[in-house]
Amino acid sequence: FCDRLSSVKTLLRTRRVADISQARPLAVVDPVFLTCFSLSLLSTFPQGLRFTSAKPSFEVASTEVDTRENEVVAPDFTNRNPRNLEQLALARKERGWETSWPSREFWRRLRFERTQQYVEAFVEDPRGNVIVSASTREWAIKRHLYSPRGVVACKNIGLVLAQRCLEAGINFVEFKAVVPWERRSDSFQGFEKAMTDGGVVLREPRRIYQ
Amino acid sequence: MAARSWEGSAGASGGKMAAPMLAAARAGARAFSTAGALCRRTAPLGPMPNADIDVSNLEALEKYESFTCYFKAAEKESKKTPWWKTYKKYIESEQDEDAKIDIGLPHYRPSRFQELKMRKEIMKQNRQNVEMERASRLRTLQIPLDEVKAEWEKYSGPFHKQRVAEYYGIYRDLFNGATFAPRVTLRVEYSQDDEHVVPVYHGNMVTPTEAYRPPEVMYEADESTLWTLLLTNLDGHLRDTASEYIHWLVTNIPGNDVGAGKEICHYFPPFPAKGTGYHRFTFLLFKQDHLIDFSEDVRPTPCHSLKMRTFKTFDFYRKHEKDMTPAGLAFFQCQWDDSVTHVFHQLLDMKEPVFDFVRPPVYHPPQKKFPHLQPLSNRSLLISTELELIKKLITTKKNTVFEELFPCASVVLGRSTGVNQEETPIKAQMENVFSCMS
Repeated sequence: FCDRLSSVKTLLRTRRVADISQARPLAVVDPVFLTCFSLSLLSTFPQGLRFTSAKPSFEVASTEVDTRENEVVAPDFTNRNPRNLEQLALARKERGWETSWPSREFWRRLRFERTQQYVEAFVEDPRGNVIVSASTREWAIKRHLYSPRGVVACKNIGLVLAQRCLEAGINFVEFKAVVPWERRSDSFQGFEKAMTDGGVVLREPRRIYQ
Repeated sequence: MAARSWEGSAGASGGKMAAPMLAAARAGARAFSTAGALCRRTAPLGPMPNADIDVSNLEALEKYESFTCYFKAAEKESKKTPWWKTYKKYIESEQDEDAKIDIGLPHYRPSRFQELKMRKEIMKQNRQNVEMERASRLRTLQIPLDEVKAEWEKYSGPFHKQRVAEYYGIYRDLFNGATFAPRVTLRVEYSQDDEHVVPVYHGNMVTPTEAYRPPEVMYEADESTLWTLLLTNLDGHLRDTASEYIHWLVTNIPGNDVGAGKEICHYFPPFPAKGTGYHRFTFLLFKQDHLIDFSEDVRPTPCHSLKMRTFKTFDFYRKHEKDMTPAGLAFFQCQWDDSVTHVFHQLLDMKEPVFDFVRPPVYHPPQKKFPHLQPLSNRSLLISTELELIKKLITTKKNTVFEELFPCASVVLGRSTGVNQEETPIKAQMENVFSCMS
C-alpha cells in the first residue's frame, strides 16, 4: 500500500510541474500582488516554480504575405472576458453590510459543508452560483473511499477540489464563511491542508484601486 | 408604526382602507396626517417579511436547535427572490434558465438499475476490505486522483465543464447563449520539451511562449467518424470587439488523427496585446455527420493578415449547422508575454499595440441646490412647520422679497427659530400659503 501511495505522490508532482503555468502569470501581474502572494506561492510550489527561460525560435514572415492592413487598430479595446478584471484584481468587490456575517466581500469563495452522511465542498461566486464542486456523493470519489464521511473523506475532497480548481483557472479563493468552532475540527483542518497542498491559495488578493 | 396600521387595515378590508384615514384627516383629529402620507398608504404588493410568524406565541415556534441549522435556513432564505426591488435584482440581468437552447450531442444513459447494482457491489467490497478500513482509520487513505478524474469525465464531468464555461461566458460569446455539454473529452497538450507538458483544461492559464507550437490534441473517436477542430480567440480582436481571431481550423478529421485532417487555417501562436489582460482561447470540437465542403472558409497558407483571420464562430456554426454538432470544449487563458512582441514584429509585420487600463470615472451624483420646485408632499412633514413660519412672515410683512426667496428662506431661517403650533389644520395653512404666493 505504501508503494501505491508513493507512486500517487510522484504522479502528483509531475502533474504539478505541468500545472505550474496556472499560477505563474498571476504572480507577475502587479507589484502589490507580488508582495502579497509571492511567499505563499513559493511555499506551495517548492519544487515546481520555473520561469520562462526557453524562447521559441521565430521564422521570418515570407514576402508574399498580405500584412498591409494589420496596422489599423482601434484606439479602444474591450476585453469581453467576464473574469478578466477579477484576475487582474481590478474588478470591484461587493462590500455588503459591515455587520453581516459571512462577509460579502469576495470574488470567489470556498464553502465546505458536512452533512450526516456526506462531505461537500464547492467554490461559488457572489451571486451564489456554484463554479467548481466536489462531493462524496459523486460516484467517482465514493468508490475509492471506505466511508463517504469522516476525516479521510474530507482530506480527499480537498485534494480533488484543489485539482479541479486549478484546472478551472481558480488559484485564489476566499475562505471566511466557516463557523469558527468548526474550524478547529480535524476534518476541517485536513481539508484546508489538502487544499493548500493542492496548490490553491485560500485568500484573495486585495483590490487594486489606483 | 406605519406597518402596523396598514397591516391591520389590509387584513380587515383591502380596498377601503384609505377611507377612515381620509375621514380622520377631514375631521382634523390627527395633527400630522397630510396628503403626502395618504398617497403611500396602499396595500403591499406581496406578503411582508415575517408576516407568517405569530409573534404573540413565541414559545410555540419551531427552534433551530443548532447554529448550523440556522445558518443553512438563513442561506436558503437569502437565495429566494422576494417581490420587492433588491440590489441583487438590480445587478443581475434577468435570464431564463429553461429558455437556453441546447445544441449539444444527445446522451444515452445506461440502465440505472444495472448501474446501482454494480455500485452497491463495489461499496460492499469496500466495506469488507480490511486494508482500506485500516487506512481509513489511520487517516492515511488517499484516493488515486487520476482514476477519479477518468471516472468523473464519464459521469458528471460534462456538466461541471459546462458550468465552468458558463462562468467564463464562453457560450455567450461563442453561440449567443446556446449551450452544450461537452460530451467528448478533449485533451489538449502543448509539449515544451521531453519532460514537460502544458495541458489545456477549462480555464487554466497558459503563456503565449508555451503555446507557440501547435498542440497535441487527443480524443476518443471511431475511425469512421469525421470531426472539425477549431481554435479561436474570443477577446483578442483589435478592431471590432464582437469579432474573434481564428487561430487554427482543421476539418474533416477522420477519427482522432488530427494530422490526417484538412488544415484549412494553419496554426498561429496567440498574441494577446499588452495591457489587455487575459484572453480566452477556445478549442472547439465539432462532430460532422458527413464530409463537408469548407471551401468558403479556406485561408491562404501563410495567413498572417489579421483581416483574413477575423472570424465569428456563431456565423461559422450557422453556416454548417445542419451537418455538425459541437461535442468537445477546452479553453485556456492567456496574457501578454515577451514572445507576443516577436509575433507582432516578425509574423504580423506591424508595430506592437500597447494598451493601458482606463478606470471608469468616479461617479458623483449631480449636485443640487436646495430641491427647488419639488412637490411639497415629498417633504411634507419637514416643511409643514417651515410653512407656518413663512406664511407668518409673508402675511405680516407683505414683503415681495420673501416671496421670491421662498425656497431659500426656509433654509436661512430653518427650524431653529421657534415653532408656533396653531390650532388650524395644516391643510388650511397650505392653502393659505399658495393663495399668498399666487
